[in-house]
Amino acid sequence: MTSPPSSQTAPASPPAAPPARSARGFFGWMLAPERRGPLLVAPAIATLVIVNLFPLMWSYGLSFFSYNAKYLKRPPSWVGLGNFIDLFSDVDVWERFQNTALIVIGSVFLQLIIGFLLALLFSTEFPLRRYLLMLVLAPMMLSLSAVGVFFKLFYEPTLGFIPRLVQEFTGEPFVILSTPTKATIAIVCADAWMWSPFVMLLVLAGLVSVPKYLYEAAEIDRAGAWRRFRTITFPYIKSLLLLALLFRTIETFKIFDVVYVLTEGGPGSSTETISVYLFRVAFNYFQTGRASALGYITLFAVIVLTSLYLYAINTRRAEPG
Amino acid sequence: MQGLKLGIAAAAVTAGVLLGGAVTATPAQAKDIVINMAAPDWLPTRFMQEEFNRTYKAKSGNSVKLVIDFIPWPSFYQRVAASLSSGEKKYQMIVTDSQWMGDFVEGGHYLKLNKYIEADPELQATLADMHQVLKDTASSYPATSQNFYGFPQFPDNLVTFFRTDLFCNAGERAAFKAKFSKTLPCYYNEWEQVDWDTWGNIGEFFHRKKGEKLGAGTADDEFYGVAFQAGKGYDFSSMQINTLVWDYGGGIWDETKTAPAAGVVNSPIAVKAMEKYLDLLKWAPPVAKTGQMDIFVIQDLYMQGKVAAIVDWVGLAGPVVNPKVSKVSDVTAFAQSPGARKEDGSISRWANIGGQPFVLTTWNNDEVVHEALDVVKWWLSKPTQVNFAKAGGQSGMLSVINDPAYMTYAPWNRAFVDNYQWQKDVWHIPEFFPLLTQQQEQFDKAITGQITAKQALDAVAAYQDKTLKEAGRIK
Repeated sequence: MTSPPSSQTAPASPPAAPPARSARGFFGWMLAPERRGPLLVAPAIATLVIVNLFPLMWSYGLSFFSYNAKYLKRPPSWVGLGNFIDLFSDVDVWERFQNTALIVIGSVFLQLIIGFLLALLFSTEFPLRRYLLMLVLAPMMLSLSAVGVFFKLFYEPTLGFIPRLVQEFTGEPFVILSTPTKATIAIVCADAWMWSPFVMLLVLAGLVSVPKYLYEAAEIDRAGAWRRFRTITFPYIKSLLLLALLFRTIETFKIFDVVYVLTEGGPGSSTETISVYLFRVAFNYFQTGRASALGYITLFAVIVLTSLYLYAINTRRAEPG
Repeated sequence: MQGLKLGIAAAAVTAGVLLGGAVTATPAQAKDIVINMAAPDWLPTRFMQEEFNRTYKAKSGNSVKLVIDFIPWPSFYQRVAASLSSGEKKYQMIVTDSQWMGDFVEGGHYLKLNKYIEADPELQATLADMHQVLKDTASSYPATSQNFYGFPQFPDNLVTFFRTDLFCNAGERAAFKAKFSKTLPCYYNEWEQVDWDTWGNIGEFFHRKKGEKLGAGTADDEFYGVAFQAGKGYDFSSMQINTLVWDYGGGIWDETKTAPAAGVVNSPIAVKAMEKYLDLLKWAPPVAKTGQMDIFVIQDLYMQGKVAAIVDWVGLAGPVVNPKVSKVSDVTAFAQSPGARKEDGSISRWANIGGQPFVLTTWNNDEVVHEALDVVKWWLSKPTQVNFAKAGGQSGMLSVINDPAYMTYAPWNRAFVDNYQWQKDVWHIPEFFPLLTQQQEQFDKAITGQITAKQALDAVAAYQDKTLKEAGRIK
């Protein structure tokens, strides 16, 4: 309440405006400029805490307990580092890491080769280039599960496109997913098909940034194609190639969908990656505490790879030009 | 401050309006009750939803709505398990595989129905009308006990689907007789004499190269004799391998006893049965070598005209006789699945039962429980079951399957009913999914030639003993 001005004493100055809070109420106070910023980011922070940080901390806690999430009424029992020790001494876990490594090495290598060659192709002008580029980029825009289903159908020995094509030449049924080696190659091919365009995009960005005059100068100096590539092109793309290598390694390390749909980790467990195994431990064996511990081991591996990735970015930034 | 009060008041009013939408009405008025049910996405549950929407009227006068959450089969267990373990209490009813019973009863999610059955003569009559094998395998936990948790939403078993244009072709029958000195089965009674050896003969006999004579024509592609479950996913291999193990006189770990699995699971008889199973795979389509020959793959290969005969669930027979999706719809007939011939010449035809019961969840209030049980009674009533059977479904109610008219509803009904006497089930204990996952992986290794039958069964027995011992189920 503001009292009316006295009739006997003239006011020295016009009455002060009432405080904003009382005039506009709680919402007005909340939306004051100094509070508007924090208010606007609050939902994002709350979402981050609820869907990211809280589960992360919760699962970290669970990794030290023996716990089955299906039995809500049974309290978790403390095992300390037991889950971690068990996992590090479990041959199944090491086998899954080995499977993952094989797929990562094969797939990333293939992606780099194919992506690089595609980038070289698309760095030159030719008819229908734009349309072909769109087609080549399409696989990486597809859902991972859809790619798994596509390749499952492609590989199906009786009705699938690839076995039937091979059978036309050999006359014998061609069964791709029947052995651990062939199944691993099949997964590598599917993953490389999907992600080579990503590598291509990165490399292409490097290729188009090479100044033309360098090539013109090299031509005047009669430098050969290999020398031009080694001394002009490669320095421009090498850090991008490194980024592609690290980024794809991190992503392929976590591969789940394509493997789960295509082979379910088979034959036997020969293509079961660490992510698929983690899923099985969590949702088939329902060893929630153990799965949490395995999740953290996997997270640690990814953090190591991510650190390399960030280091590579910083190196790139430090480069002149 | 006034603004804050207004805000709170507005929020309270809004919440009141929203809540009012779910729990309406005074006691004197009819209430809106929604029963959310998790169910696999296929004909039996789709039919249930349609039939409910078309015919159901609650006796209580309440407005009862059944909302089925159709979940694809491959992710069905994970989705249900995730929902239950998250504590979201989303479902009032769940269509559940019989094996899950112990897991979710022990988890406190499935409601024990005994007190409701004891108080309701109609439910007692429904239970009395159910086939005994369903009471033992799909309704009670522990298995065969008198603790009832579910009623059969859909009973199922394994039957043979075969091509009459091939099996009843005079030339093929004569050639088969000449080669194996056996009758190529065409009629139902001839199929009753088919054992696993003859099944292998059929596989070998009908394996034809492109261009070779096949029935009245020629094979337009590589053609295969037989197919049956050999898939790593879910329980596919186990369902078929259990069948052969039981047929040959072996067994799986007995959940009603405390004896270990070793010596039973990997007994010489079980090893022999599994070796027979692996041997038969050589006559199957090449997808068998990948360990991905699941129930849907064999159904598809059969419908595409690539296989002469398959053993698959009756529940998957509907599309096979549908000319819109099947190339062999007009030449398909059904028979009991093969078995093992005993010394006295008779055939042992044990098989793993299929199908699913539906259960109620523990967080339902009494009103919802009673409405849900009324839905159960409606679904298992004779008129609904007959409509269901006429639409291609199967029944587990004696009053329905013992009616001679039942045989006329679908071409597979005779085999389905005859099979009832031969059904057993896999374990119902809470540890079933770890046991199943490990077993499937070992079986897959054997199917894809990485290990022998004995190695697979030894590994299965060792894991089962370790797991069951840890759970305190064996000494």
